[in-house]
Amino acid sequence: MATAQRSEEIDRALAQEAAETAAKADVKPPYDEMHAPDGSVRPHFAIMARRLAALGPGELDERQRTLERFFLLQGITFTVYGAESSTERIIPTDLLPRIIPADEWARIETGLVQRLQALNLFLADIYGERMILKDGVVPRELVLGAPSYRREMQGLYVPHQAYANVCGSDLIRQEDGEYAVLEDNLRVPSGVSYMLANREASKRTFPGTFRLAGVRQIDRYPDLLLTTLRSMAEWRPNPQVVVLTPGVYNSAYYEHAYLARLMGAPLVEGRDLVVHDNMVYMRTTTGLRRIDVIYRRVDDDFIDPLTFRRDSSLGVPGLFNAYRAGTVVMCNAPGTGVADDKAVYAYVPEIIRYYLGEEPILPNIETFLCREPAQMSHVLANLDKLVVKAVGASGGYGMLIGPHASAAQREEFAQAIKADPENYIAQPTIQLSTAPCLIDGEVDARHVDLRPFILSGEKITVTPGALTRVALRKGSLVVNSSQGGGSKDTWVLAGPGDDLS
Amino acid sequence: MMLARVADSLYWIGRYVERAEHVARLADIMLTATLDRAETAAQVARIALSAVGEATPEKIATPFESARGLALDRMDGSSVVSSLALARENARQVRDQITSETWERLNLVHLRLSGATAAKSFNDGSSAFLHDIIADLHLFKGAADATMSHGEGWRFLLLGAHLERAQLIGRLLEVCFGRGVERLDHPTLTAVLRMSCALEPYLRVYTADVRARPILEFLLLNAEFPRSIRFSTDEIEAHLSVLSRHTEAVHAGPGRLAGRLKARLQYADMAEIEREGSHVFLEGVLAECGAIHSGVYDAFVAYPLEMRLPA
Repeated sequence: MATAQRSEEIDRALAQEAAETAAKADVKPPYDEMHAPDGSVRPHFAIMARRLAALGPGELDERQRTLERFFLLQGITFTVYGAESSTERIIPTDLLPRIIPADEWARIETGLVQRLQALNLFLADIYGERMILKDGVVPRELVLGAPSYRREMQGLYVPHQAYANVCGSDLIRQEDGEYAVLEDNLRVPSGVSYMLANREASKRTFPGTFRLAGVRQIDRYPDLLLTTLRSMAEWRPNPQVVVLTPGVYNSAYYEHAYLARLMGAPLVEGRDLVVHDNMVYMRTTTGLRRIDVIYRRVDDDFIDPLTFRRDSSLGVPGLFNAYRAGTVVMCNAPGTGVADDKAVYAYVPEIIRYYLGEEPILPNIETFLCREPAQMSHVLANLDKLVVKAVGASGGYGMLIGPHASAAQREEFAQAIKADPENYIAQPTIQLSTAPCLIDGEVDARHVDLRPFILSGEKITVTPGALTRVALRKGSLVVNSSQGGGSKDTWVLAGPGDDLS
Repeated sequence: MMLARVADSLYWIGRYVERAEHVARLADIMLTATLDRAETAAQVARIALSAVGEATPEKIATPFESARGLALDRMDGSSVVSSLALARENARQVRDQITSETWERLNLVHLRLSGATAAKSFNDGSSAFLHDIIADLHLFKGAADATMSHGEGWRFLLLGAHLERAQLIGRLLEVCFGRGVERLDHPTLTAVLRMSCALEPYLRVYTADVRARPILEFLLLNAEFPRSIRFSTDEIEAHLSVLSRHTEAVHAGPGRLAGRLKARLQYADMAEIEREGSHVFLEGVLAECGAIHSGVYDAFVAYPLEMRLPA
């Protein structure tokens, strides 16, 4: 109880502080997904607003409990291991869907396709001719010095130049309502099972509203994923696809099993695979069977103890050599992380212009690289306004939100930046847009971001839906599930030309 | 074709669920017997506790605590809660191989048993609590039967269940009748039939003539009762012969053992068994079951790779 109370106090203090800072610095208020500035309901939210008004006070709460029970029963949980016993928790899920009108989605979709095209070309280039480095568009040491750069990938053939077969980009909405890309996730992005599970849940919760609103379907995702994976091994008549998981103790295990089941592909662990003569086999009840495509949900470092980390027991000895020999395809390709590096991110607009000769459709967030002395001094002078991120960290760790931080915390980061400037970037504090959420039985606004999923194999497809992540603490801007974030369904409405599927 | 690890997990799910059901039933019958005469209650408790573990005088004297231990003691590896936690952990590892309907049933009963309110529910109404667990496990088996493809995975699940069942019933019969046949009183014999879930089917064959010899005969050799050892060995043989179809002849070890055991029970003669001593026969059957278990491992799960590499 004491902790709950304290976190409430912290929340209140945070909200108050945020309001004060906003007033002082004349910060614009966040974009409200549901209401226009004059307080009226935006047209695409009208159906949902009517439904909410018609519900009795206890009804929403009741539905929220039904939803949580459904998640628990299905095992859509992560395990919290304690000293005595382990308990399972469901990922906090909010049942009010976020709604995106057709025209906004069209722009997001074309923007994401453009971005992933350029990033795949970039990866093919830096693991090939390195023209972009020779032309001085992206600093050579930034790419070749990145911890996620894999020299083992140099000169390796990747079908369709599709390095990042599954990409989950994080989009946020700025104060003026414009979508911008905050981060690209090209390694082993997760969350797609929550997108699909949230959809199941919101269909059950708001069946009538769902039908009336004309929501585009997302349930073809597993099918599209399988098609994408198979397109990576076209030289084989009927390629055997498997999903490689680190195992049942991984926090995303539910998702691995879920995708394997819906694709009808075996879910394998490292210990199920054997490499012999540069061919990869799985151990079945009737002997060894050859594998062609591995949708791996294991990080680069752990896939092959002979090539990468030696202490890894999750991987398969010899797997990378088989990959080099071209007898098996790994998706995503190793080494894609160099293109979603937080410092390389700053150059993505240039990368798009360089390879495609087009202007970026989705803008970046303005990013300061502390490795550049001029930009570092700007960052140090404005720590109270900026968000500082460590380049190597993810999941909301190693981050300073300037306006919400104490003077001592800012000082600590200033020292860290000076000691290791290359490891830090900074961005202005963006007031993420807010969407209505069900908090303790009441509808209240919380900050959200947007993670759509893009598949690239022979072609690039964007599923018309996304995972909307929610910062459940009032005023908080951190949506990561490891930091008290939750998620909700995202309804993409069909436009005049769109098929619902 | 399925992953060796997956086959192994399904096999163990079958075993653990069968074990959990059996232990829950024994605990329930032990509690019901406390309503009988004290000697009968002690006799039943001794049988139930010996059949799944150890029967110390203290345990026999405190049937309620012992039953709660059989159901809910996490430190006891063969308690219902431990078996179901293991079954469910295995199911999680092969979540992609079992249907959602099957998974839901198992997950639900696991959550109920491992939840914070389990001990309270047991204290509030132990018989209803145990009865509900058994009913839930029947639902699990029904869901598996009605929604899973009756292919390789399902066969491994049932292979595990029947092998476990044959061993559990075999152990129960050893405890009851291993040391001679005529020492148990009528209420105890009825309790033994209940422990094998056999009371009603038995009465239909032998009428209300409850005696040790026909009980032993029924639970060993009846061809139609699904918990007799003969029935289980028929099933084990049937599943293994299909599963072995795709392995090469040299790996047909467990299939051969299962066929031999099946024949042994099919052509057994009660008078002959008694002459030999029923404990000798039961020991033989249990040893064969153990050999089949190892044979399954060697043929399907932990086979040496050298034998299976492409030439």
